[in-house]
This record gives sequence, C-alpha cells and structure tokens, in this order.
Amino acid sequence: MLYDFLKDYATILIFLFISIGIGVGFIFLNLLFSPNNPDSEKLSAYECGFEAFGDARMKFDVRFYLVAILFIIFDLEVAFLFPWAVSLGNIGLLGFWSMMFFLLILTVGFVYEWKKGALDWE
Amino acid sequence: MNNIEFIYPELFLIISLLILLILGVYKSNSYNFIKKITTICFLLCIPIVYLNNIGDFNIFNNSYSVDSLSNYLKILILLSTVFSLMFTNDYIKIQKLDKFEYPILILSAVIGMFLMVSSNDLIGLYLGIELQSLSLYVLASIDRGSEKSTEAGVKYFVLGALSSGLFLYGCSLLYGFSGSTNYYEISEVFKQDTSIPILFGIIFIIIGLAFKISAVPFHMWSPDVYQGSPTSVTSFFALAPKIAGLGAIIRILYICFGEIYEEWKSIIIFISVASMLLGAFAAIGQTNLKRLMAYSSISHIGYVLAALTVGNRDGVISAISYLNIYIIMMISSFACILFFKRKNVYFENIYDLSGLSKNHPLISFCFATTLFSLAGIPPLAGFFAKFYVFKSVVEANMIYLAIIGLIASVISAFYYLRIVKIMYFDPENEKFDEGSNIGIRFSILFSSIIIIFYFLNPSSILYYVEMATKFLN
Amino acid sequence: MSYVLVFAPLIGFLLTICFGKLLGDRISQILTSSLVLASTLISFFYFFKFISNDTAIINDQIINWLSSGKLSFDWSIYIDPLTSLMLVIITSISFLVHIYSIEYMSHDKSKPRFMAYLSFFTFAMIMLVTADNFVQLFFGWEGVGLASYLLIGFWYHKNSANKAAIKAFIVNRIGDFGLAIGIFIIYKYLGTLNYEEVFNGLITLNDKTISILGIEGSIISFIAFFLFIGAMGKSAQIFLHTWLPDAMEGPTPVSALIHAATMVTAGVFLVVKCSPIFENSIFVLNLILVIGASTALFAATIALVQNDIKKVIAYSTCSQLGYMFVATGLGAYHIAMFHLFTHAFFKALLFLGAGSVIHSMKDEQDMRRMGGLWNKIPITYVFMIVGTLAITGFPFLSGFFSKDAIIEATYYSQSKFGGYAMVVCILTALLTSMYSWRLIIRTFHGNFNNINLDLKDVKDSGLIIILPLLLLSIGAVSSGFAFKELLIGIDFIKFWDNSIYFKENFELKHPPFWFLLLTPMFATFAIPLSFYVFLKNKKIIDDIKARHQPLYNFLINKWYFDEIYDFIFVRPIKNIGDKFWKIGDIFIIDGFGPNGFAKIAKIISIKAVKFQSGFLYHYAFVMLIFLSIFLTLIII
Repeated sequence: MLYDFLKDYATILIFLFISIGIGVGFIFLNLLFSPNNPDSEKLSAYECGFEAFGDARMKFDVRFYLVAILFIIFDLEVAFLFPWAVSLGNIGLLGFWSMMFFLLILTVGFVYEWKKGALDWE
Repeated sequence: MNNIEFIYPELFLIISLLILLILGVYKSNSYNFIKKITTICFLLCIPIVYLNNIGDFNIFNNSYSVDSLSNYLKILILLSTVFSLMFTNDYIKIQKLDKFEYPILILSAVIGMFLMVSSNDLIGLYLGIELQSLSLYVLASIDRGSEKSTEAGVKYFVLGALSSGLFLYGCSLLYGFSGSTNYYEISEVFKQDTSIPILFGIIFIIIGLAFKISAVPFHMWSPDVYQGSPTSVTSFFALAPKIAGLGAIIRILYICFGEIYEEWKSIIIFISVASMLLGAFAAIGQTNLKRLMAYSSISHIGYVLAALTVGNRDGVISAISYLNIYIIMMISSFACILFFKRKNVYFENIYDLSGLSKNHPLISFCFATTLFSLAGIPPLAGFFAKFYVFKSVVEANMIYLAIIGLIASVISAFYYLRIVKIMYFDPENEKFDEGSNIGIRFSILFSSIIIIFYFLNPSSILYYVEMATKFLN
Repeated sequence: MSYVLVFAPLIGFLLTICFGKLLGDRISQILTSSLVLASTLISFFYFFKFISNDTAIINDQIINWLSSGKLSFDWSIYIDPLTSLMLVIITSISFLVHIYSIEYMSHDKSKPRFMAYLSFFTFAMIMLVTADNFVQLFFGWEGVGLASYLLIGFWYHKNSANKAAIKAFIVNRIGDFGLAIGIFIIYKYLGTLNYEEVFNGLITLNDKTISILGIEGSIISFIAFFLFIGAMGKSAQIFLHTWLPDAMEGPTPVSALIHAATMVTAGVFLVVKCSPIFENSIFVLNLILVIGASTALFAATIALVQNDIKKVIAYSTCSQLGYMFVATGLGAYHIAMFHLFTHAFFKALLFLGAGSVIHSMKDEQDMRRMGGLWNKIPITYVFMIVGTLAITGFPFLSGFFSKDAIIEATYYSQSKFGGYAMVVCILTALLTSMYSWRLIIRTFHGNFNNINLDLKDVKDSGLIIILPLLLLSIGAVSSGFAFKELLIGIDFIKFWDNSIYFKENFELKHPPFWFLLLTPMFATFAIPLSFYVFLKNKKIIDDIKARHQPLYNFLINKWYFDEIYDFIFVRPIKNIGDKFWKIGDIFIIDGFGPNGFAKIAKIISIKAVKFQSGFLYHYAFVMLIFLSIFLTLIII
C-alpha cells in the first residue's frame, strides 16, 4: 500500500532532485568562474549618486489596518446577503430571522466601533 | 429544524453579550457594572444549562449535540469562569486593566467554549475554537502598556493561527475523503476506509486540538503566554479553555474517530507521555510561579490524555474526574498567587514566598495543601485524580503508561515541595497585604476545603461524571 | 444519642487541639471534661437499658466507610451488652481522669494539648469497642496506640519519655502486625470483615487447613493465633510486655487511664469479642491460658522488687491482665470481662492514688525516697489502702469476687494446662498481696527518707484530686459485690445474651470450701507478713537479698527481657541497618538512585528550559517538526 502510494510521487521526486541539482549546480559554477575582486566603493549602496538617507521601508499608520479589517467584515456581510436574498423564497421565516439576527450582531459591532472612535481618523 | 429551545444557554449568553457590549460602550467607566452583570449572567446560565439537561439530543441535522456530557462540561466552564472573575477583581483594578471589554471578552470566549464542547460537526467545532481563541488572544495582550503582555498576545496569536491552519487542513482532508463534516457520517466512513490520507487528516486535527490544550510538543506557547499575560488572564487560561479543549477532544476522539482507535492511540500516548515528562522536568528549572504553573498544567494535561488513551468509557470518566479536580486545584493555586502582593505590587517569584508560613499561616497552609494535592499526595483530592487515571490505564493493560506517570509525578513533587519548603523553612520576609478581597479568600477556602475533605466522599464526583458519560456506551 | 456518645470526645479533641490557645486552659479543661461526661452519662444509660433487658442491640451506620468491589465496610456504632460494659468503663474512668488531670497537670504549660490527647484517646477507644467490623476495630486500635504514643511522650523534652514512647509504639507494631495478618486471613477466606458475617461464616472453615511458612494448621487456629498476637501486644503479655513499664514515663493520669484501665484491656476485649473464633481453636485457647498464667506470675515476681512506685503498679497491671487471659483461655469470657471491670476501678484508683502521692512529693517516684507519709497525707493513704485491699482480693471487695471466680474456674477446667494455671494463679495471688503491701509500707510507713524535701512540706492533694479517688474507691469496694450476680451469676447469660459465644454451656461449679478460702487467706495472711518483713524486721529481706543475689538481680532487671531483646533483635538489626545504610543506601542507592537521578533530572531540566528559547519561529518549527514526525509514524 505504502509503495503504491509513493509510486505516484516518484516522478515528482525525480523532478525535484533534478531541479535542485541544476539550480545548485549553476550557482556553484558561477562562484567558480566569475571574477571577484571587491573594493569599498563596489560594496557600498548606490542610489542615484547620493548616500542613502532614510529607510527604504515605509511605515504605515496602523489605522489603515483597522479600516481594512472593518471593511472586510462588512464586505463579507454583503457576500452573505446576496445568496440569502436570492433564496429568500425557499428558506422561509427561519431563514429571514437568522439573517436579521446576523445583521443585529453586526450592527452591535458597528455601534461599538463607532462609539469607540475606531472610525475617526484623528 | 426548529430546535431553538435546546440552545437557550448559548442564546442567553449571546444576547447578554450584545446587550452588555452596547451598555458598556455607552456608559463611561463601566467596568465594575459590566463585570458584575457578566458574573450574574454566568451564574444565571448555570440553572439554565441544568434545566436544559433533559436527555441526549442531537440537533441541527446532528451537527450540535446537547447531552449530559456537554452540559456537565458547560457547568464546569461556567463555574470556573465565575471563580476566575471573582478572585481577579483586585488584580484587575490595581493593574489598571479595568476596561469593560475584559469581562465581555471572557463572555465571548465562554460562548466559543460552549460551541466547542457541544459541536458535533467540524465546522461548528472550528467556529467555536476560533471564537474562543480570538477572544483569548486579545485577553492575553489586554495590558497594552506592558511589553510582555503584548509579546504574549502576539506569540499566542501567530502560533494559534498556525495551529488553526493545520486544523483546517485536517478538516478539509477529512471532508475530501468522507464527503461530510459531520462526526457521525465521518465515523461511518472510517468503518470502511482507513487509507493514509484520511489518517493524515486526523493527525492534523489532533494537533490543532492538542495546541489548544497545550499538550507537548505543541505547548511551546504556553509558558511564555502564561508568564507574559496579566495574572488574571493566566488564571483564566489555566481553567476554562482546558475544559473546552478536552471536551472537544473527547467528543472528536470518541465519537468521530471511535472506529479507528488503534490508529490514534499511539499518537495520544506519545503526546501524553511527552506532556507528563516535559511538564515535570522543565518545571524544575522555573522560579516564576506563573511559568511554573504553566508547566504544571502541561503535566496535568498529560495525565488527562493518558486516561483518554484507554479508549473506553472508563477512560473518559477518569479523565473528566481528573479535569474536575485539576480545576479545583488551579482555582486554589491562582487565588493564592493573586494574594501575594505588597503595597499593590504583585510578586510572582517563588523566593518571594520565603517564610510565608510565619506571616500568613492560613494562606500558606492552604497553598501547601494545594501543592501537595497537585503533587498527588494522599489523602488529598489530587491523589484520587491520579489514582483514577492510573487505575483505568492499568486496567487497560498499559502499565508502562502508569509507570511513566508515576515517575513524572515523583519528579514534579520536587518542585511543588520546594515551594512548600520555601514557605515553611526559609527566613521570613515582609508581610503581604492583608486586605485582600473576599473573592480571593472565598476561592482559597472553598477549593482547599474540597481538596482536603475530598477523601470523605470520593465517589461523589465520580457519580456525576458517570451520569454525564452514560451515553458513550 | 449514640452519635453524641461517639462524637462528643472527638469534638472536644478537635476544639481543644485547634483552638486550645484561644480558649485558654480553664475552658479547654471544662470543655473536654463536660463532653466526656456527656458520653459517660449516655453509656450508663445504655448499660442500664441492657441490664433491664429493654433494648435490642444498637447498630447505627454512620457512613459506608469504603466500598470497593467485594470489600465493603461501614463506620458504625454497634452496641451490645459487651460493648456497653466496655463503654461504661472507658467513659467513666476517662471522665474521672479528665477531672483529676485538671489539678495534676496544673503546673504544666500545655494543658489544652494534654486534655485534647485524653479526649482523642477516649474517642479512639470508643471507636474500637463500637466497631461492627474488623477494620473499624483496627482503626480504633491504631488510634489508641497513637494516643498512647503521644501521651507517653507528652513531656517530649525528656529524652527518656521520647524513648519510652517510641518503644511502646514499636513493640505495639509487632502486635498490630499480627492483628493485621489475622484480619487479612479472615478477609481472604471469608470475604467479609463484618463481625456478624465473619462469625456466621466460620462454619464453612471447619476442618480446612492452610500452611503458613511450612506450618500446617486449621485456618481458624491461624486466625485466632494472629488475633491473639495482636491482643498480646496491646495487653502487654509476656514477650511483648516490655513497653508497659517504660510507658510510665507519661503523666500519671495517662498511666491510670490508658495503661491500666482501658487501652491495655483492649486485647482482652478483642479475644472476648471474637470468642466464636477462639472457641473453635483449642490450641490457641491453651496458648492463651499458658501465656496468661505465665505473665501473671512473671510480672508479679518483678513487681516484688521494683522501687519505682509507678513501675510496681505497672507490673501489677501486667499481672492482672494475665489473670484476664487465663479466664479467656478457660473459655470463661464473662469472668474475664468481670475482672476487667473491677480491675479498671481498683487499678485506676491505685494509679491515681500513686499520682496523688507523687504530686504531694513534688514529682518524686522512687519509693526509697518516701516513707512515713501516712499521717501527712491521710486521705490518699486511706484510698490507697482501699485500692490495695481490692487488688489483693480481700474478702468482699471487688477484686475478691472477680479474682476468685477466675481461680475457681481454673479448678474445674478441662484444659490440659488447667492445673498449671491454678497453681500459678494462687501463687500469684499471694505475690500480689506481697508486692501491694510492700508498696504501701514503703510509701507510707517507716522513716521519711527524702533529703530534698522537708516532711512538713508534704501536703495532701486538693479536692479535685480527691474527688475522683473517692468515686473510684466506691467502685473498687462495691463493683464486685453489686455486679457479681449480673455478670457472672447463675443467670449470667441473660445479661450477656449473644455478645459472648460459648461452645458448650458454661457452668460455674463451686469448688470445695477449703479451696474457696485459700486465696482470701493468702491475701489476708500476706498483710501481717508484709508488715513484719518489710517494716519490722528488714534484716530478713536483706538476708534473702544477700544470699540470693543472682535471683535478686534477675528480678530487679526484669528477667533481663530488655537486655535479651537488645542482644537478639535490637543490636543485630541496628548493625544490619548500619551496613545497609552505609553500603546499600549511601553508596549504591543514593549514588545511582536519588542523587544520580536528581542529577539527571537537573540536566534534563536545564535542557528543557533551554528548549524554550522565546523565539516564535523556533516554536513554530518544533510544531511542524513534530507534525511531520507524527505523519511519518502513521505511514509506517
């Protein structure tokens, strides 16, 4: 059983070895044959002729994340609402009230975040 | 389909959560108020669960079961949560954690736990786990000003997300091979099919759940999180989530994977042995009480899992009895830990307790009793807990497991007794604050009395547990 | 009501041991005494109910103590006539001793502790006699052993007290071990530990034999033998008696309560209680007879030469217990109980009287440093005389009835060893008289020999000491006469009912008149003889001493029992222990065991702690590694 199971993966395994071999082989060849005589100028960072000032990575305001998360929640809510609206005729009162309850929960959450000031930028 | 009346407890908690959230956000400085209402809600929920216990039902297309086991565990969860709210009151105020979200997060975590212990379906279980865990992540980092608390929260969150991912992967494997997420239907499939991919699925699921109860080797988060989180949160971590996690494990192992006992047995044995031993060994090197309790709880979880390896109802009974006694001992220990403050500064190092017996004889007696009980020394409750486990393990002809358990408990006795030694024989320190609140005193006394006098009627808990697990056979 | 009887002393113990400092000395004394008084009244109530035959056997189950598989036993209160008699003895003596201790211990610092221990002892003893199964009996048995240990070592700052306490505890262990084995055998072959079920089940064991250590024997005999070993330990019979004299290190009220009236009689009680078992084993009955008779004689000879006032009485207790065992060995259980009953009064009286003397002499116990006290402490003197007359069997006092009943029983005994027992008993009666009067004479007559104390300072004890003495002396004088008909009279079965089992109907025939007169005559004759020998003409004694120096040494060294035990058991065991300790324990076990393991545990612990690096990616890595390990495991 084990053998059968693994047999299907044998080709992948072979492929894996070959690709690793080729990848490592080329890097190794590169190291072997490329000319390599560094000096301090060559090793320093180069940016339009200036010395680099400041970090390349930018800091984002954490509030962006907050808004993004809130957006996702309400976005998903709509994704729920579409199928619900389409099948409303079939799922009856229970279906209707289930969604209402779901919306109620979301509303409570919304009220909370509003009151907490999560939506104020400043 | 209309089985709403069976989930009144859950509905009650959800609706109180919604109302409390609105109330809390509109009222300023509402921590005290919300906390009191939350506690009352929990207390009210106990009779609701109890009255709901009228038989064993599977509702919502068999995806949710309301039976004696889940009701028993729910009541246990509620009680332990009430205790952990009660004795952390002072701490929360002194550490300025008194945000009204605190009790509400606990409330939502409890709702998640309810789902976990009742769920009969992988999706329901996952939802429960996530609801519980998300609340716990936030609770762990609720002390936003403290670097440690934040670190604990982040660690817990990242590793928790990883384990949830593994768990979901397992669910999808199972679903892929069985075509259902329902426990009963999956177990039907296991009768014919035990091919390797489906076994992969159960391993992923077991690992996801083992993470939640911090069993070795998926325990790595717990010492850091226990130590980093505010003590009030740590005490909660040590209580209710363990009950919920074990409830979920029992349900999934015994109902869903019941047919393939032989397959998961060795995995659980490994986890259990590793937990018992690592919990015992690593705790020796600890001097921080909270971290020590983390290892102690790892070790205790190992014993509970050892009982589950038996694979029959006896095992479940002894596992739940053990859990029960473990909860009582943890209530006592954390209530004691929260007692150790001087001028509103809390002490967590074991050497801070030196000479405690001279200044606070009653507290140190209770703490020493609890530690003896944790070490499993007769005639205290902890001994009976271990006795039940060893008994069922030996009866299942797994004597080696009992021997390993014994060795581990001998090793762990060392670090429990070291604390006793520090309390009773080391030079006196300054006095701790006397005016601790009634909640701490009550919790310590209540749990110590149970621990000490448990031997008078050891069959009482067993009786209830037996009632709760009747349907398993 | 039976609950009050059992729990009143326990409550007294718990309150005084926990809150003794809070309550203060006086309140703890009053509290414990009054609670024991409550028990006393209730026991008398039950006793008189049984006398008037208007109650059935009481059997209240307090709780089901333990139930595990087939093994199940209760914690219960079982009162039948036998138990009610024991209860009366225990509670009344205990109450009097409680009262007595109030004054006797007045100079002691830890009075509440003392009272608490006394109450604890009373509780354990009540537990012992009210048991309806062997386990509860064993619990009470160990409980009184513990109380005895605590009380002997009450003055724990005294090295000798500690040694005596440990000795009592260890020697009792041997007996308890025997008892435990007896109980095990009962459970193994009968599957139950309840008295009634055991006694009813005995019939199934008839003619069944087992072999233990290569010795074949009937099961019942083995059971009886091991139970008797237990009884020997508790009742200080020869070979296991060595702890009793040393136990006199404890305060005198303790000696009176535990080491004279109650605890040491537990062995007799056990044999009587288990009469259905013993009746079925002639061999063990004979053994009991021989052991009992030998103890009676042997202890009496030692008592003859001892100088410590309490030790004399201790050996006398030993000897009287021998009498009781003689009676049980003859199958005359009711007579044994009767002697137990009267003995409790006069022996407690003697001890408390001796205590009063000691108290007056400012804790002097050596009789060589007393003498001539009779007109200084006349009240104590009178009571001591009463006690002495009672113990020697002076006509119409309590000892006369009970002791003579035993001697009469030996006369008509069918047993092989009846003759031996008879001769020994009569001889012992004479010796009893001698040593008892010697005690009186040495203490109260002759010249005052104490250099440390002025005779003028010796005063009689206070009312609280005198009162118990008075009550006890009433018991010592009248208990024999008053209860003779009831307990050993013609119609004795009416009272005992089913609580004692006789295989054949027991008939007490009256021996010839001259035989009846023999013992009282010895007892009476010994009075002038003792006065002459010990007071008037001391030369005789010195002569005998000088001529029979080895014999005297033999006696004063208590037949060299302690030395022999020391040589045979203690020293070799100590040597072996020493070897084991040095080679086995320190080198092998500690080196490779605890210390080695501790070292390993420490190393593992350090590793395990290092494992917890604090880096998130390490943690995730470990999780994934173990995931793949598990997956691999399940594939293989």
